[in-house]
Amino acid sequence: MMSTPLFLGALAEVFAERTGMMVCAIEGVFLIGAWGGFIGAYITGSLFVGLLIAMACGMAMAAVYGVITVYMKQHQVVTGTALNILAAGICAFFQRVLFGIPTSPLQITTLPKIAIPLLSKIPFLGPIFFNQNILTYLAYVLIPISIFVLFKTSLGLTLRSTGENPEAVDVAGINVNRVRFLAVLFAGAVSGLAGSFYTVGYLGMFTTSIIGGRGWIAFAICFLGNWNPKGVVLGTLAFGLADAIAIYIQAVSGSTIFPNELIIALPYILTILLTIFRKNFNVPAKLGVPYAKES
Amino acid sequence: MKGRFNVLYFNIGAVVVGLIISASMLLFMQINPLSVGGEAIRKIFTDHYTTGEIFVKATPLIFTSLAFAFTYKANLYNIGAQGQFYAGSIAAIALSLWLGDVLPTVLVILVVLAGSAAAGAAVGGLIGLAKAKFHANEFLVSMMSTYVVKALMDYLLRTGLQETKAEYLQTDAISKNAYLPNIVSGTRIHLGFVLAIVTAVLIWVLLYKTPLGFRIRAVGYNHNAAELGGIRTGRIFTVAFLIAGGLAGMAGLTEINGVQHMLLQDFNASIGSFGIGIAILANGNPIGCIFASILFGFLNVMGTTMGRLPGLSIPASIIDLIEGIVMICVIMSYFLRGYVQSSMEKKRMKKAGA
Repeated sequence: MMSTPLFLGALAEVFAERTGMMVCAIEGVFLIGAWGGFIGAYITGSLFVGLLIAMACGMAMAAVYGVITVYMKQHQVVTGTALNILAAGICAFFQRVLFGIPTSPLQITTLPKIAIPLLSKIPFLGPIFFNQNILTYLAYVLIPISIFVLFKTSLGLTLRSTGENPEAVDVAGINVNRVRFLAVLFAGAVSGLAGSFYTVGYLGMFTTSIIGGRGWIAFAICFLGNWNPKGVVLGTLAFGLADAIAIYIQAVSGSTIFPNELIIALPYILTILLTIFRKNFNVPAKLGVPYAKES
Repeated sequence: MKGRFNVLYFNIGAVVVGLIISASMLLFMQINPLSVGGEAIRKIFTDHYTTGEIFVKATPLIFTSLAFAFTYKANLYNIGAQGQFYAGSIAAIALSLWLGDVLPTVLVILVVLAGSAAAGAAVGGLIGLAKAKFHANEFLVSMMSTYVVKALMDYLLRTGLQETKAEYLQTDAISKNAYLPNIVSGTRIHLGFVLAIVTAVLIWVLLYKTPLGFRIRAVGYNHNAAELGGIRTGRIFTVAFLIAGGLAGMAGLTEINGVQHMLLQDFNASIGSFGIGIAILANGNPIGCIFASILFGFLNVMGTTMGRLPGLSIPASIIDLIEGIVMICVIMSYFLRGYVQSSMEKKRMKKAGA
């Protein structure tokens, strides 16, 4: 299911944004995760190591982002843009440094699909939802866990308060910047893993255009999902469905006059309309605002 | 920010540091950065065509960086310059194909200029309106708008605007009559570069010498205070985005009529994000945008030139690496400047107290 990385990325974004941090570098984190996963798996021959390296790469990128935005208090959008460009450069450049210009594309085996007994036998839905690789199952597991952590634990309360009222969190003796930095690191690890889905989990090879804006889609899903894991599930399905329908229509009708692109654009339009019209929009109050302690 | 802590010094320092770091990346390829860099620079400046490419590449970047810088002054984030540029490109190609052979060159260019600016401004204006009327997050709306415009462009490239052969996803080439005239023979530098500089100067005048510019900056400085001072912030949001969109749209004219002479899929796909980097490097100053764009144009040409040097196989992607590192260094330099400034301030306060 191609929506898995979108879901993981959007979920990571929810956690970070709840603390007031937009991870605008998400496109770059996806890319570097995809690349890290690929080289890790290619060099060691172990997919598991590949996934670990993907997470490490994502975290490294997020750490740079976090230091600049949380501790140096520079603007998040700007820093994110710079890091996205940098990530593209790093991946393409070091891909060349490591492998030169290969005569045939480098391949790795992808994560095996695991069919869940019984459930995968459900007609139609079974193969779609229950014959997937390990990352997709991880995504399923994360849905309830993330809801629980975010809304039922004191950790979740801390995260959410950091985005809404950092002063209060500070007064309670919690280090606002540390919470935010750790949230960004966590988001980096999960987004890096999400990025590796494209290489390790699906294509088995790496190209610099492999992410092609999907990091931003995850970013949008976080908004579309109203900063709530449940909403993120729905948002992911909306984007995934639109994508699938567009591909289906193209396949069935060939290249006709039907505006296939309208369906591709639909989730974006939907996101815009929702940002404009939804009244009870749950945007964290201090989203994108650095926290400056009074001295 | 006058005196010793002038932004300019810090920026130049950051760029130099960034270049040194990026150059040392070449060591990973067992290449001596000094000799290769020297050779590339010699190539660039001995070959007039390549020297000219710097300004050709800088032209659209001036527009997209202005598009970001302008709203930045109102403390708004227009990261949709790419989409506004695409809207401008669609208008430019449609008008050029339609009127290219009908009107004399001067008129075609003027009509296309107006059309592409209007198309960009329409997209930008809608974003501003969403911000003004519904308090929508302009950052998100502008980002999403790029994808919507891109989808529209893909659709048109597949249908109404597709080339007569209907083979590739591109349009027919426009008539020579609709080309922006070349201004330096032996290069591809076209009138659009002059237009970009004039526009940047006009934007500077608009921002710093007119009442509207004052209002925009006042809103950017503190929009609550501006509102209390009688400025209608909603209108300023809309106007700022309208102008920014128009600026990005004008890059459509320079790229379609000046360089490419047709519209392709994924046309100049990264000038929007580079525009943001340039605007930051220039600290939002329109005149600074000109020089920062030329710097990025130079880096761009440098990257391609190094990639073409025989026997080294330096990937052209080194451009992204260099530009990314330079941008990060610049962002950090703003932090450093603030830090140095405040610690100097503290010292002065202590002295005054003692």
